[in-house]
Amino acid sequence: MESSLLYFVGLSVSGLAVGSLYALIALGFVLIYKATKIVNFAQGEAIMVAAFICYYLVTLFQLSFWVALPLTMLLTGLLGVLSERLVLRPMLGEPVFSVVMVTIGLSIFLRSLAGIFFGHHNYVFPSPFPAEGLRVGGVVLSYTHLWSMLASFVLMLAFFIFFKFTNMGLSMRGTANDQDAVALMGVNVRRVFALTWGLAFLIAAVAGIFLANVMVLNVGLAFVAISAFPAVILGGMESVPGAIVGGLAIGLIENLAGGYLDQVIGGGVKDVTPFVVLFVILMIRPYGLFGQEEIERV
Amino acid sequence: MPIRSKTFNESYYEDIKLFRTIWIKFWAVIFVAALALLPYIGDPYFVYLVNLSCLATVAAVGLNILTGYTGLISLGHAAFVAIGAYTAANLANHLGTPFWINLPAAGLIAAVAGAIVGIPCLRLKGLYLAMITMSFGVMVEYVVITWEGLTGGVRGMSVPAISIMGYKLSTDERLYFFLIAITAMLLFAANNITRTRVGRAFVAIRDRDIAAEAIGVNLTYYKVLSFAISSFYAGVAGGLYAYTMRHIHPDHFTLLLSIQYITMIIVGGMGSIVGSIFGAVFIVVAPEFIKLFAQSSARVFPVLEGRYDEEWNIAAFGLLIILFLIFEPGGLYSIWNRIKIGFKNWPFTY
Amino acid sequence: MRRHRVWTGKLALVVMLSLLTASWVFADARGVTKDGIKLGLVLVKTGPVAALGLPNGQGMVDYMSYLNEQGGINGRKVEVIWEDDQFEAPKSVAAVKKLIHRDKVLSILTTGGTQQTIANLEQINEFKITNIPNALVREFFDPLQPYIFAMGATYEAQYQCIVDYIVDELKMKDPRIGVVYEKKEYGKISLDAIKERAAKYNIPVVAELVLPTGSVDASSQIMALQKENANIVITCTLLPATITFLKSGQKYNYWPTVFGFNWATDDMIVKACDEGAKNYIGVNFVGAWSDETPGIKLARDLAKKNNREVGLTSLYINGVGVSWLFGEAMKRAGKDLSPESLKTALETLKNYETGGVFPPVNYSSTSHAPGEMVKFFKADVPNKRLVSISDWRKPKELK
Repeated sequence: MESSLLYFVGLSVSGLAVGSLYALIALGFVLIYKATKIVNFAQGEAIMVAAFICYYLVTLFQLSFWVALPLTMLLTGLLGVLSERLVLRPMLGEPVFSVVMVTIGLSIFLRSLAGIFFGHHNYVFPSPFPAEGLRVGGVVLSYTHLWSMLASFVLMLAFFIFFKFTNMGLSMRGTANDQDAVALMGVNVRRVFALTWGLAFLIAAVAGIFLANVMVLNVGLAFVAISAFPAVILGGMESVPGAIVGGLAIGLIENLAGGYLDQVIGGGVKDVTPFVVLFVILMIRPYGLFGQEEIERV
Repeated sequence: MPIRSKTFNESYYEDIKLFRTIWIKFWAVIFVAALALLPYIGDPYFVYLVNLSCLATVAAVGLNILTGYTGLISLGHAAFVAIGAYTAANLANHLGTPFWINLPAAGLIAAVAGAIVGIPCLRLKGLYLAMITMSFGVMVEYVVITWEGLTGGVRGMSVPAISIMGYKLSTDERLYFFLIAITAMLLFAANNITRTRVGRAFVAIRDRDIAAEAIGVNLTYYKVLSFAISSFYAGVAGGLYAYTMRHIHPDHFTLLLSIQYITMIIVGGMGSIVGSIFGAVFIVVAPEFIKLFAQSSARVFPVLEGRYDEEWNIAAFGLLIILFLIFEPGGLYSIWNRIKIGFKNWPFTY
Repeated sequence: MRRHRVWTGKLALVVMLSLLTASWVFADARGVTKDGIKLGLVLVKTGPVAALGLPNGQGMVDYMSYLNEQGGINGRKVEVIWEDDQFEAPKSVAAVKKLIHRDKVLSILTTGGTQQTIANLEQINEFKITNIPNALVREFFDPLQPYIFAMGATYEAQYQCIVDYIVDELKMKDPRIGVVYEKKEYGKISLDAIKERAAKYNIPVVAELVLPTGSVDASSQIMALQKENANIVITCTLLPATITFLKSGQKYNYWPTVFGFNWATDDMIVKACDEGAKNYIGVNFVGAWSDETPGIKLARDLAKKNNREVGLTSLYINGVGVSWLFGEAMKRAGKDLSPESLKTALETLKNYETGGVFPPVNYSSTSHAPGEMVKFFKADVPNKRLVSISDWRKPKELK
């Protein structure tokens, strides 16, 4: 391949790979939004806590990674259910804004607790994946990213089926639409909420473990969730495929901006581009690319 | 003839008067006296905390007008604070203009920026609005870091002290009265905005914007106005920040600061000017109290001795936000209201 | 009769007040009593940056308690009060005020990083707070700031040494430098220093790329560097970003010689990157954890004795070093220790050896600048540590 084309393809592929990580983070946001209409600002903390749990399971308890992974998912899911029960449940019926704020409180709380219990150092996650990348015709892809792409694809498929074909999925969609109406229809709204949070934290666990593999593990891992915000909004808050597309798109945009614009315009363009794109998209389509427009009545 | 109760109002204007009863006036005088004496009682550390609270109050009131009164959520408030801070700093450094030009200018430039941001935000609501304002905040942060000629980039920028006829406000005690005066003025203005036509229009938009439009509130005008007023406050707060810290840096105006402002108005009370003051003071001072509490409980329970970790302090802070929202959604303001009603007729209860 | 009582009351008040004032005026120097010295410390303890602040502060505290065990300083025991500033300038200013006005400390070991120290500058001068900030920018000692002492080589000097090293030791035929930096103060200063030095040697700087802390990966940066055929990469990033860079480089099978500055020269880099760090060369103005010099040995013993789980060993050593200098100065200041005499005592340090912790320290009344000396370190991958590969050296004098 010609070198400039190879450069483009290489940037795109690695952008998509990073995008798959964003997609995983975004999926957690979307899930909670879909069922409860709130943005969970503590999603990043769930990611970080999960990564730490997995780290300690592997290093302290000497479990193999493949045992630790489902265990971490389970434990983090439980944390999600617990958070819902203790923090979100009492807020049922409060204005959305207050509920969102409660998740900000939760995020501060969880981050500090993580600092206390897991320590403040930079940790090295014992990666089960080989450090060298996979080379296909000059394009490099790491095993971690390959797995995370696979994971986000599988999870997307699973959730798509879940929302489309299962009763629980239907209840969740209904709850998102109108809590009172589905409660009258006999749906246990509380159980739906608990399950949603459990599932969202479970996905956070997957995202956290993959992120810890590529980054340094410390309390700051929680802030990665902020860079996934554009992905969530871009795809539309209530669309599962949208989260994946949004994540991939943001990863791609970020990397192309980094590869082509960084040296031309001046440093740091890579990190601000997603937000510029977000700004523009929201101006044109106020409900994101895949979001549903709400029709309001007085 | 009707039997007159103690607070008896015959017209709407009496009902929205600033000092409705003699007791409110009485307590206001006591409060002012206490404020005037404060720097002579407290040490510089205490005075500095009060100064920080003043800065936070001004910004929080601005956000409360936008979010609490008009119902438009903004996660980009820190960006307007930054715009104000850099405006004031640039004017003071390059043109050498005095503070009474720089501070309003800081507010005005921020207000213009606010109005400009407000226009594309007209179609957005709720979380999408929060996100677009957040991305605006990130973009401003990038510009501040990159535009070195104007902002000093990552080296930051020094700001000279305020000088009133040769008298330099370089220490906290000197700044104290200045900040209190400005804050009081701005609070007074905010109170007047919210109790007049404009304020009522804001509240109508918050409660149901479509209904508000139906009864004749010009949505475009008032939403943009709300953005502008809110940003004006943020801008002035930024200018004051520049004069207080005397050195500004992009790191001071991040998303975390915006979240802090939101926390202030939530804890203090949405849609309440007094609530914004409570919230701002609470956020600045609460860590002190938590720490004091932790240390004194360590004295009572020796088990806890040496166990204190600053991180507990922050955890307790997060927990406080959660508890407030669960048990006191109206914020500190509604607690205050309850206490006030209890004392309202004191000492003559009947 | 009643008037009498009022008068006695007033008199008592006046007497009490004047006594209070007198006791305040004639008290010992701030923070120094007959058998104790109070010192302050403002350093981040919470949040993500705590990874840097904690080991640093622990090093300082541990060395002071070691001095106390050795009998204290001229019979006085040192107490260190550590305030957290959460790495925010307003909180740092507040912490300094608290330490000076409430705790009445003699001085503050460090007022934190660049931002925090700049915000505190006026207080530092007003209250004569002798301190060694955790920042290495030139403006803190050039021109001379009376109470600020520099602890090690400036960023400029570090990168000058690195470029010198590239020319003198690597002796590459066609060196092409790529710079990876953070958009922070240290990143910008370092980038300018590298470009200036490289221009003097006529070495091309082919790429300047930003890599912030918290990046998920560095693939676009790596690809841009590969495209420009950069065979030397100089990083001006903190540890997490440097690790991300090295890991990404390994993934792309991209093996330039990578250089890093003092905040990224730590055993952690080898622990985190393993093979990925094999081409890493770092500079630092403190010795390596694995050194067998008396100072470093002491640091290791202190960490062990105090059960410290030291994350970043270089910062722990750094903290020990800062306390070491303060301890020596307080000893030299003798019995009448005061903020002023502490400063004068620090200025008497001439070619002072800290057992391999710092290079020989030189302060004088006209210069608080450090010696601009650094050591080079290379990864020892099998043992997961850094080992020094040079002695202390300075940037060369160029025309």
